[in-house]
Amino acid sequence: MTNRILFPETNIVVPSSRPPVKESDLQGSAASYAIHLRDVSKSYRETGFSLRNLNFVVKQGDFLFITGPSGAGKSTLMKLVYGAERPDRGEVRVGGQNVANLSGNRLSMLRRRLGVVFQDYKLIARWTIAENVAFVLRSQGVPPDEIQRRLTPTLKLVGLQNKADCFPSQLSGGEQQRASIARAIVGSPRLLLADEPTGNLDQDNALQVLSILKKLNSLGITVVVTTHDLHLIKMGQAPVAKLQNGQLKLIPPADAST
Amino acid sequence: MRMPSLPMPLPFKVTVTQVQYLLQETVKGLQRGSWMNWAAVSTVTVLLFLLGLSLQTNWQINSFLTQAGSQLEISVYLKPSVSGATLQQQIQQFPDVASVSLVPRDRAWRELLTELGTTDLQGATDALGQNPLVDELKIQAKQADQVPKIAQMLTNFTEVDHVSYLNEVMQNLGQLNRGIGKMGWAVIGLLTLTALAVINTTIRLIVVARHQEIEVMQLVGATTTWIYLPFLLQGILFGLIGGGVALTFMATARHFMQQLLQQQPVFLQVLAKSLQLSPTQLWVLPLTILGFGSFIGLTGSFLAVRRFILR
Repeated sequence: MTNRILFPETNIVVPSSRPPVKESDLQGSAASYAIHLRDVSKSYRETGFSLRNLNFVVKQGDFLFITGPSGAGKSTLMKLVYGAERPDRGEVRVGGQNVANLSGNRLSMLRRRLGVVFQDYKLIARWTIAENVAFVLRSQGVPPDEIQRRLTPTLKLVGLQNKADCFPSQLSGGEQQRASIARAIVGSPRLLLADEPTGNLDQDNALQVLSILKKLNSLGITVVVTTHDLHLIKMGQAPVAKLQNGQLKLIPPADAST
Repeated sequence: MRMPSLPMPLPFKVTVTQVQYLLQETVKGLQRGSWMNWAAVSTVTVLLFLLGLSLQTNWQINSFLTQAGSQLEISVYLKPSVSGATLQQQIQQFPDVASVSLVPRDRAWRELLTELGTTDLQGATDALGQNPLVDELKIQAKQADQVPKIAQMLTNFTEVDHVSYLNEVMQNLGQLNRGIGKMGWAVIGLLTLTALAVINTTIRLIVVARHQEIEVMQLVGATTTWIYLPFLLQGILFGLIGGGVALTFMATARHFMQQLLQQQPVFLQVLAKSLQLSPTQLWVLPLTILGFGSFIGLTGSFLAVRRFILR
């Protein structure tokens, strides 16, 4: 049985009973994939949740929404990509590297090449926004003058140049999420993963965040967004994949609600 | 348009930044530890103070024994027919012997009679038929602990009738020294375990307090060394601070004791000399204290973060 590519422009390969992508198929093109999941399975015995034989490819420069009901495994999928979880079976390749084989410093080096945005922002409350964003570079040993050089344009990109010295508690939810995006991109990642970035935001702030993500995508960053915000998907005008019953299927944006 | 990637900083600049960062993080960790820092430093201080005291006491008793030993004499009484002068040369050759002096029987007899208040030397000798005393050799050892060994060797001479020396004081002091040593090591062992436990707990609490930062650090690609080295440095700092305080206490106590003894009668002032440390001991003591403190601090903090480092 061959694999069926429903929407060629999105590069999502629908799973089949056989491994859909052979190693030989990837040679020479692996580097052009931002993410490549091959036969990935992950299950949790306690909750009964599972991802089954996922095959999924995202090319450099793509923008993709991943949607699905709560508990479908969207966050788990993201965690597999940034190495916070390991698959039970299969390969998770990011920029050609199998994340499942990485640990310690090699995993750290990989994470420097991607940015992650969380629903709960994960900002350190007792630090200013500038400190929170600069922290990424500080923890990578970047000199202070270089940090300063990077900080201003990054904050400007997310519209927080005047809030650099504010603490997270002094900002609105939308602003905090934008700060979280600034932190994710200050290290110039090639891939940005946003896990329910608008989950805690009102529509206006959600659209602002979406606008920033689209802008980043236009700068060449591959962006993968998990969301169940239908309005966001509609406004995003980007390919949508639905994760349900452990399977990932590409759907027309209009069908995201079903 | 693409996001510009980070330029490669100069290696020297990176090293300076890294050292600066690690020191800042170490200080930050100390600020987070709050009162637990106090617990860790004070436990380490008590441990290192006792370790230093034990070492110092050992050195001081040894020094006293050496000084006292050099003043202790072995008295060798020869057989009546033997002349002390012949044996004196032989004993002088012993490597552990500092000096040998001869007390001829005539001089000893004269001194004895003088002490007894008799002035008629000839009369007393005639009354007994002859001088009843024998030649005596007074021997001083180079080291106090060699006195029993030399005495044993002397008894093997056929010319020697009897050997006597003041060994009781030496033995008691030696026993005291060994006793203090054993007790000291037992207490130090227990305190070492306590210090390790306290440092371990302190560092763990700081790790818990900073878990959010650590999680973010991990997600943004900070290496394990980068994340956890400040905690190890913090442990070492506990050891160094504790060592510094312990050394200050010890120096103060030593100074105070010396001042006190100098106001005492002359025979007690000899003790003050024993309390002084030799130039070698003066740098071995701080090195030992600070080295052991750093080791305890590093071990305690490593135990606290080992599961994160080794995974």
